[in-house]
Amino acid sequence: MPVNPDLEQQLREALRRVDPAEGFAERVQARIERERLRPQRPRPALYRWAPQALAAALLMAALGLYGWHAQRERQGLEARQQLLEALRVTGQKLDLAYRGVKDAARPATAGDAGA
Amino acid sequence: MTDGAACSVCDSLARARAGDAAAFADLVRRHQRMVYSLALRMLADRHKAEDVAQEAFLQLHRKLALVQSDVHLLFWLRQVATRLAIDRLRREPRYEVVPLHEDPGIAGEPAAGDPLLQRRLSGLIGDLPPAARAVVLLRYQEDLEPVEIAAVLDMPVNTVKSHLKRSLASLRDRLGGTSGAAYRGDGQST
Repeated sequence: MPVNPDLEQQLREALRRVDPAEGFAERVQARIERERLRPQRPRPALYRWAPQALAAALLMAALGLYGWHAQRERQGLEARQQLLEALRVTGQKLDLAYRGVKDAARPATAGDAGA
Repeated sequence: MTDGAACSVCDSLARARAGDAAAFADLVRRHQRMVYSLALRMLADRHKAEDVAQEAFLQLHRKLALVQSDVHLLFWLRQVATRLAIDRLRREPRYEVVPLHEDPGIAGEPAAGDPLLQRRLSGLIGDLPPAARAVVLLRYQEDLEPVEIAAVLDMPVNTVKSHLKRSLASLRDRLGGTSGAAYRGDGQST
């Protein structure tokens, strides 16, 4: 579609630049100054407490790991103790059984010897 | 722009980058007309245009170190002003936008040609979708070529040409009083 030069010219005239209100540059400078002087917005609580929260989380994790490890060690020792106790009881029982068998056999032997 | 004027801008730019407030104010004064006009034609509201133009210069102040030359400065300001204006148009409900021809303050600018026709044209440009409006402004206010407009608005050259073609067809039709507006029904789409 050919462009109508009249329309283009009319557009250029309709769209000529216009000036802002008097003192625009000064208002820009004032806004820059306001921005510069504006106190730094405090960081959101999330960011402010993040290092502490992270440290606390790490500490809790370390304590948890240590506790878990200590519990496993304690359980291991208890199991060892129980095993030793079981072995001891078993030894005693075996010893008793051995003595019972031995005692049961002895009178007959003694009677035979006396006769 | 003459070599002397260009050098003066370069000098102001260098001094502004070094922290000279007066040099920055000089840059603002040199470009305020362009930035404000873009914002005004995009937003059709003097207060919003002033706010957007100030914001553009505020951003310039923050990013002065990135601006390499006066040509880059012009490009940067056009890009930021149009983007800020388009963002503002998208953020705010459409019913708040006052067509330019209904704003006596804007329509009352002294005109070189037919003031009634220019007033009507301003109003019709205000009815274009934001992206098309930006293309028309950069073409006929800033006198940029489609390739340059494409760079400023970060859109393909063919899209720029398409916007121009449809906008001109729409304006021509609506000026002529016919109903075949190319952008009619597009609303604020981009």
